[in-house]
Amino acid sequence: MRSRKWLLAKEWRELMASRAWWLMLLAIGPLVGVSFISAVTAYGELSGVNGTAAGVGEAFSPLIGIWAPTFSACELAAAFLLPFVGIRLVAGDRQSGALKIELQHPLSSMTRLSIKAAVLMAGWLIATIAPAIGVALWAGYGGSIYAPELLTVIAGHLLNAGLTIALAATAAAVTEHPATAAIVTLTVTVGTWLINFAAAVSGGWWERAAAFTPTAMVAEFQRGLWRADLTLVAISLIVAGLALAAIWLRIGDAVRRRLRRSAIVMGLLALAIAGAAMVTASWDASESRRNSFPEAAEAALQSIKGDLRIEAHFAPEDPRRSDLEHGGFRKLRRALPRVRIDYVSATSVGLFEQTADRYGEIWYELDGRKLTSRVTTAEGVLESVFTLAGIGAPPESDEDVFRGHPLAVTPRGAGVLFYGVWPVSVAALAFFMLRRK
Amino acid sequence: MRPADGICLRVSGLTKRYGGLRALDAVSFEVRRGEVLGLIGPNGSGKTTLFECIGGVLPLDAGRVEADAALFYLPDSIAPWPSQSVGWALDFVAGYFGAPSGLREAVIEALALAPLLTQRIGQLSKGQRKRALLAVGLLTSRPLVLADEPFDGLDLRQTRDVAEALRSFARDGRTLVLSIHQINDAARVCDRFVLLSGGTVRGEGTLSELTARAHTSTLEEAFLALT
Repeated sequence: MRSRKWLLAKEWRELMASRAWWLMLLAIGPLVGVSFISAVTAYGELSGVNGTAAGVGEAFSPLIGIWAPTFSACELAAAFLLPFVGIRLVAGDRQSGALKIELQHPLSSMTRLSIKAAVLMAGWLIATIAPAIGVALWAGYGGSIYAPELLTVIAGHLLNAGLTIALAATAAAVTEHPATAAIVTLTVTVGTWLINFAAAVSGGWWERAAAFTPTAMVAEFQRGLWRADLTLVAISLIVAGLALAAIWLRIGDAVRRRLRRSAIVMGLLALAIAGAAMVTASWDASESRRNSFPEAAEAALQSIKGDLRIEAHFAPEDPRRSDLEHGGFRKLRRALPRVRIDYVSATSVGLFEQTADRYGEIWYELDGRKLTSRVTTAEGVLESVFTLAGIGAPPESDEDVFRGHPLAVTPRGAGVLFYGVWPVSVAALAFFMLRRK
Repeated sequence: MRPADGICLRVSGLTKRYGGLRALDAVSFEVRRGEVLGLIGPNGSGKTTLFECIGGVLPLDAGRVEADAALFYLPDSIAPWPSQSVGWALDFVAGYFGAPSGLREAVIEALALAPLLTQRIGQLSKGQRKRALLAVGLLTSRPLVLADEPFDGLDLRQTRDVAEALRSFARDGRTLVLSIHQINDAARVCDRFVLLSGGTVRGEGTLSELTARAHTSTLEEAFLALT
């Protein structure tokens, strides 16, 4: 226990002595500032024009209007700044030779890595003081804060930071030089973007894989949806990344042994991901219930006993498919986890399929009964399913409609805080801490 | 497996290859408890590779290392925790490896490190860094310490002082194995010697045993005759 405490203290001092970390801290304030100020400005302008009304309420949800853009600066920092902090902390020990000394202690390599990761996460939490200032400013303006949706956004970004730390640790452990580790990390990041691109063009398995990329994961949390499968996959990737780093940082192991152990970790990771992907539990933490049908409709859907099958004839790049997926099918999957939805198309854009029979049609099938529709809205999906099931659509209640929280304010004081006070404070602290011996 | 009484480390048939290059070829020798053993060899003779194999940094291709006590390997040419002060680094090593109370002060005094305690490791000269590193090795309180080139970068006076400090720790029960390429330095501090050249052991024994075997009068001549 004493050794762990000393190692924790040492890692903390190394983080405080890391110029990469101080630079990240310096940059994240103005980055968050740009996002927050433009978000509040747009929110205020929209609120001041027409106020709100049923049907446009979501435009005045702080989740979409404020938290998602403000915290998106964290996503940028996690992709382009945090990896260098992680690589510096992990590769620095190898470069300086400290690793050869520290690893002669019986403490396991995984424990060492976990302590390092915990310190890096603490460093990231300090960096998230910047968006926390945004939250405080928003509250000061009189803005509404719905804690569950805000916490969900924060959780998504914490998981994303965890993934970045694990990736950086793995890259720093596997490669001999920090520059190579940085290239590997950025290559993986760009690789996940390519998967997202391939998913948008080709659909199918690419689409399934793209759902688990950090970008897609963060997007789900930013919509206020806490998905158990994404959380479990992210945690599995973090643990596997740290385990791989621990394997490659151990001293005295032959490459063949390391490869064998890495293969075991990868095998276990594949099993964990496959298992996690089957978990359908999710929690809509958004105040506007933007990821769910109205409660009465969900209750009615859950009374359907048969297996519902849907075939949607849209190409991956057809905007109607996106409307259908995000408006109706996502909500339907949450309400009816047994539903099977397949997309069918011959091309990726669908431009030359428009005249083909069936293109643009959505086929619903329940216990042998069939129904075809072309409506891509959430209401259209609900109506089709209820008609097929022979259930009367539950009456809509005015109470179910999210009215939003319009707030016609300007981001007063934010510029001074993010562009002035933050950089000056961080620079002063860095000057003091970097001189400390 | 533990070596016999009086022997705290036994290396048998240790072989290490880098691709087609055989860096160590069936190296065997013993280290006796409480002695200062000098591993003597020219640059490129395999001293560092041998230490890294014994210290567990490199995997062995063949052979066996048996130790009856925990050992610590102190590498050469490293500057660990460059942004930390010498004082904090020594605190860390003492705490991390669980050094007994009083050892830190004894090591600082023996290696004359008091004036360096507030300096960053990354800003030390080569000789200062070497002394700080030796302090790290001794602070681990492991009974057996393998130090790679402990006198490299030290001037004559520092070499004599450090040699005396190492001998005093050996008298207190520590066993030291020192890799040295300067034969005069080795003769000054070591009880016994292992001569290494081209990855093989060319001789092992005390100064008188080696000079008798080589029919020479000095360690330097014995080394040249046997390697």
